[in-house]
Amino acid sequence: MKNLNVWVGIFLLLFAGLIFYFALSYDYYSNIGPGPGLFPIWLSGLLLILSIMYIVSAFKKDEIRFSEVFPKGAQRNKILRILGSILLFILISPYAGFTLSGTVVLCILFIGEMKWYTAVGTSVVTTVVVFLIFNTFLGVPLPMNAFGW
Amino acid sequence: MDSISFLLSGFETALTLHNLLYCLIGVTIGMLVGVLPGLGPSAGTAVLIPLTYAMEPISAIVMLSGIYYGAMYGGTITSVLINTPGEASSVITCLDGHPMAKQGRAGTALGISAIGSFIGGTFAIVGLVLVGPPLANMALKFGPPEFFALMLLGMTMVIGLIGKSVLKGSIAAVIGLILALVGQEPVTGIPRFSFGQPYLMEGFDFVVIAMGLFGLSEILSSAEQTLKAEKPPKVKGLLPSRGEWNPSLKSIGRGTVLGFLIGLIPGTNSVIPPILSYSMEKRVAKDPSRFGKGAIEGVAGPETANNSFCGGALIPLFTLGIPSSPTIAILLGAFIMHGLTPGPTLFKDNPDFVWGVIASMFIGNLLLLIMNLPLAGVWAKITLVPFKLLFPIILMVLIAGTYTINNSLWDVGTMLVFGLIGYVFKKVDIPIAPIVLTFVLGSMMENALMQSLTIFQGDFMALFTRPLSGTLLVISIVIIFVSVFAGFRNKKELFAGDIDM
Repeated sequence: MKNLNVWVGIFLLLFAGLIFYFALSYDYYSNIGPGPGLFPIWLSGLLLILSIMYIVSAFKKDEIRFSEVFPKGAQRNKILRILGSILLFILISPYAGFTLSGTVVLCILFIGEMKWYTAVGTSVVTTVVVFLIFNTFLGVPLPMNAFGW
Repeated sequence: MDSISFLLSGFETALTLHNLLYCLIGVTIGMLVGVLPGLGPSAGTAVLIPLTYAMEPISAIVMLSGIYYGAMYGGTITSVLINTPGEASSVITCLDGHPMAKQGRAGTALGISAIGSFIGGTFAIVGLVLVGPPLANMALKFGPPEFFALMLLGMTMVIGLIGKSVLKGSIAAVIGLILALVGQEPVTGIPRFSFGQPYLMEGFDFVVIAMGLFGLSEILSSAEQTLKAEKPPKVKGLLPSRGEWNPSLKSIGRGTVLGFLIGLIPGTNSVIPPILSYSMEKRVAKDPSRFGKGAIEGVAGPETANNSFCGGALIPLFTLGIPSSPTIAILLGAFIMHGLTPGPTLFKDNPDFVWGVIASMFIGNLLLLIMNLPLAGVWAKITLVPFKLLFPIILMVLIAGTYTINNSLWDVGTMLVFGLIGYVFKKVDIPIAPIVLTFVLGSMMENALMQSLTIFQGDFMALFTRPLSGTLLVISIVIIFVSVFAGFRNKKELFAGDIDM
């Protein structure tokens, strides 16, 4: 199963099926007029049909292999690093606060691209500037640690 | 002549010091977004929406729309100088703009683009001033069936025009509509698909989805390419020679009309007008063989067309509340965020706002002309900033911005998921733009359909009996039919790809 398109089709089919299943639990039509189930049932039904067509065409003519479209080696690591760093931010920022977690995220992305002290320096400066813009200048709250930064 | 007096009072609003400042910030960011490859206007606008939270609605929209039309100017610079379009609508400019640069005429190419962009942009806004109010007036008479049919037409145009296959476009459009279902149902208020999760009760936030699908997925796609910074050539001599003025101005005139008209059609994007303008210029030229070798008309026409497209594309948003392109959809999201309802009532209920924003666009275009004519060389230097330095910073703004929408890390997680979905969808050529477009329209469309069905006592076919809604529905059906069966497919390769503007 190296055909990415088939997997995307299956994902869509499952998604549509799930929505369809839950849509059935809402009223299709009520005594005051069309109910909250009408639009969801039609839409998810449509997506069910479309995703089956998609899977069929993926098998027949539209094969997209994983290895053709996704990068390998350093490029792939970069993508994983970006995704991982956002995930890390979500996990640590409620405790570490924005400035600390932001610096960590940027360090992960910068280190390897430049000298480590430049990377750390750029990370700290960027995070502090973003923090100042959002928190101080625009007055919108960011995740804080126990010390208030 | 009401429009004139409204416009003058609009200038009063737009010329206040802080609105001027926001206009300047907006167009400057737009230029940056345009110059920097790997970040398009829709991503740029989405990423910066959270910054406008604390602002007044007028200032916010002045700034965000500045990003939108400013990017059209900026994209030209890299196309001409280093043969790399900064954003998709300037792809065509590479064809003749870069050869001109090689002949040492980079300055002239940039100069005529700036002049053309200014003329195109300004005339399109004049068009908005003239066409907008009467159209809005007419739309005030529309009932729910007409609006439903109009939105459906917009959607089918998007499916028909964007992306390589109708199937993939339809899938994207339906996904957008389904995502819009999450949260409270508009009529009864019962929460749908929220699974008892308080985060889902309110539905997905448009900005979060746009940030993920456009912002993050674009960062991911760009990060895997190795974009090399190339040293741009020197820019000198900005004005065309005496003999070139006449043909250039004619191209600019044609480009203005073409771009504006295409802007009115929902589902188009800013890539189409330059392509059509280029082929038109080539056709009317006495000696078409010059094209591709540095013909000034090949730069002037397309560059004008994409700017006048921008103004034209604002008309459906301002008068009908229907976005015609993804960046406009993001602007629509910003309208809603700031408590404004785009559509026919906008001109009547918020004249200060509408006319202020329109006036600011005249000013913004003038600012851009100044930025581009004498300062073109300065902008060229920005292309030297390496992407590896840039994207982590954009990512940081993206994360912080997403968090601030509702002060919640849940949103950051949602953005991450949608970024990943967008990235994978790009790999399999499912266009992203229709998802965002239909997501914005989703609840409005459901509302209009529910109201229509209530009027007609559940008879869907009755929608066809009203003259306007019937006509629009028939056109929609024809469009779907044509795009599925006719040889339209081949022509579409021209506009192909998921252009996110």
